[in-house]
Amino acid sequence: MYLFNLFTASKIIDIGSFQLAFLSLDMDILSSYVFMVVCAGTMILAAAAGAIGTISVLKGQSLIGDAIGHSAYPGVVIAFMIGMALDPLKLFIGAIISGAIAFALIQLISRHSKLNLDATLAIILSSFFGLGMVLKSYIQGHEAFAHVSQGGLKNYIFGQAAYIKNADVYLILAVAIPSILIFIIFYKEFKVFIFDETYAKSIGIKSNFMYALMLVITMGLIATGLKVVGAILISSFLIVPAITAMQWAQQFNRVILIASLTGMFSAFLGTYISSIYPGMSTGPSIILVMSLIAFLSMLIGPRGILAKYFRRRKFINDKSNV
Amino acid sequence: MSNKTIIEVEDLTMAYSDQPVLWDNDVSIVENSKTAIIGPNGAGKSTFLKGILGLLPTLSGSAHFMGKAYKEVQAEIAYIPQSSEVNWDFPTTALDVVLMGRYVHLGWIKRPSQKDKKIAEQALAQIGMSEFKNRQISQLSGGQKQRVFIARAIAQDANIYIMDEPLAGVDKNTESIIMDFLNESQKQGKTSVVVHHDLNTLAEYFDHLVIINKRIVAQGKMTKVLTQENLENANMNGDYGLDVSV
Repeated sequence: MYLFNLFTASKIIDIGSFQLAFLSLDMDILSSYVFMVVCAGTMILAAAAGAIGTISVLKGQSLIGDAIGHSAYPGVVIAFMIGMALDPLKLFIGAIISGAIAFALIQLISRHSKLNLDATLAIILSSFFGLGMVLKSYIQGHEAFAHVSQGGLKNYIFGQAAYIKNADVYLILAVAIPSILIFIIFYKEFKVFIFDETYAKSIGIKSNFMYALMLVITMGLIATGLKVVGAILISSFLIVPAITAMQWAQQFNRVILIASLTGMFSAFLGTYISSIYPGMSTGPSIILVMSLIAFLSMLIGPRGILAKYFRRRKFINDKSNV
Repeated sequence: MSNKTIIEVEDLTMAYSDQPVLWDNDVSIVENSKTAIIGPNGAGKSTFLKGILGLLPTLSGSAHFMGKAYKEVQAEIAYIPQSSEVNWDFPTTALDVVLMGRYVHLGWIKRPSQKDKKIAEQALAQIGMSEFKNRQISQLSGGQKQRVFIARAIAQDANIYIMDEPLAGVDKNTESIIMDFLNESQKQGKTSVVVHHDLNTLAEYFDHLVIINKRIVAQGKMTKVLTQENLENANMNGDYGLDVSV
């Protein structure tokens, strides 16, 4: 088991060093201050999101994160309209409020209607995001907002990691650290809750409380991540590393660790790639690296497609030999 | 076996949104008994268990365990849900699941100790699952999964076992292991309440019976309650020996 995981880890590093050798690291970029700030921001965010994303993915609710990510956007625009400025903290609060309203609506609809969850998510996601887009184009042409720079608002759709500043890194830290702490404190409760919710309830772990915790830490990360990767892609920071990790590990704590590490590694490599190739956005580059690792893992991981195929073939061979 | 009541359910009424599931159920479970709950499909057997454990909202009524509310004695009561309700793809091992039986004794934040681990390993040994302790749960057979659940209940070291169809879809070997466990528990003075689906083994396995079909049809000692008339009243086709609830 242990050896197996060592193998796992070395495999990931192998993929990494192969890529790095291929690119042959540019020390000038690595030591530049801007690169370091951006890299710190994306790596901390991806590490925390990778770890916490395992909760919703294993709970079978990864698309809720996607819906919340999109739904946070109108909150950003409204916060801008009220504050008349691109203050990251105010926009963060706007994103949280709007995401929370969307989440409450999702819960309300799924409790009181016969609609499937995916349909509910689709309607909330598109209506909220649509509202954000409408508001954004409204203020673009509106004279009351003509004197304030709105260019930054677009960044919350697609993300603009290259413009991460010190203040953003502090905000990411201020959200990531408490989120991880909450996860550590309630680790064992999360474990039973995800595996066997009914039993968890029977030993006094309240479902509502666990869902609320899960929402708080997920939403905090989503709202912070909006500026980095944008409303459209932020959920991949939560979902993709978890998928990778599930192909390699058989225990919850290892899944969390691998998800967090691959998130961090992808953030580093993605930021680096976007620094050496002008015109490549940082957020999408990170997600491409993440997804590539996930696809490879799904193919070659011990719980992946090839391993399953060979197990099945061996099983059939053994049977026909008897 | 005394005739003391250990679980007292009064006037329990439950509904799923606008569909009433259980009406006015008064049930007494006798201390140190092995009580089976039977009833046709959709009779509300699982709902009844969840209602008394506070896992689903009730419209009216109350349940008391050893004279107390469930919350006060939850560590003393081990519940085994239907295995279909569990997320089997969750990355965890058999031993890890059994260790969850210790959580109720640990309280918040605290991690299981070496002692808890030892208790969990002994529980696995008791049901013949030691060799599978590091096995990923998704790779266990149906019977093995059920045995892991039993081990979790053993590790919880409870006084009352409440099980929802533990014998559904398990192999003969697992069935006898589970029954050995229930018999052994009874000798130790413990009580078990089990939703059961096989009328053939009912009288052999259990000594008390509750027949339920939205309302309580009959309850009491097995010999008195298991009659053709009661089964017919519960809409169980009356065809004795036919496995009607599956």
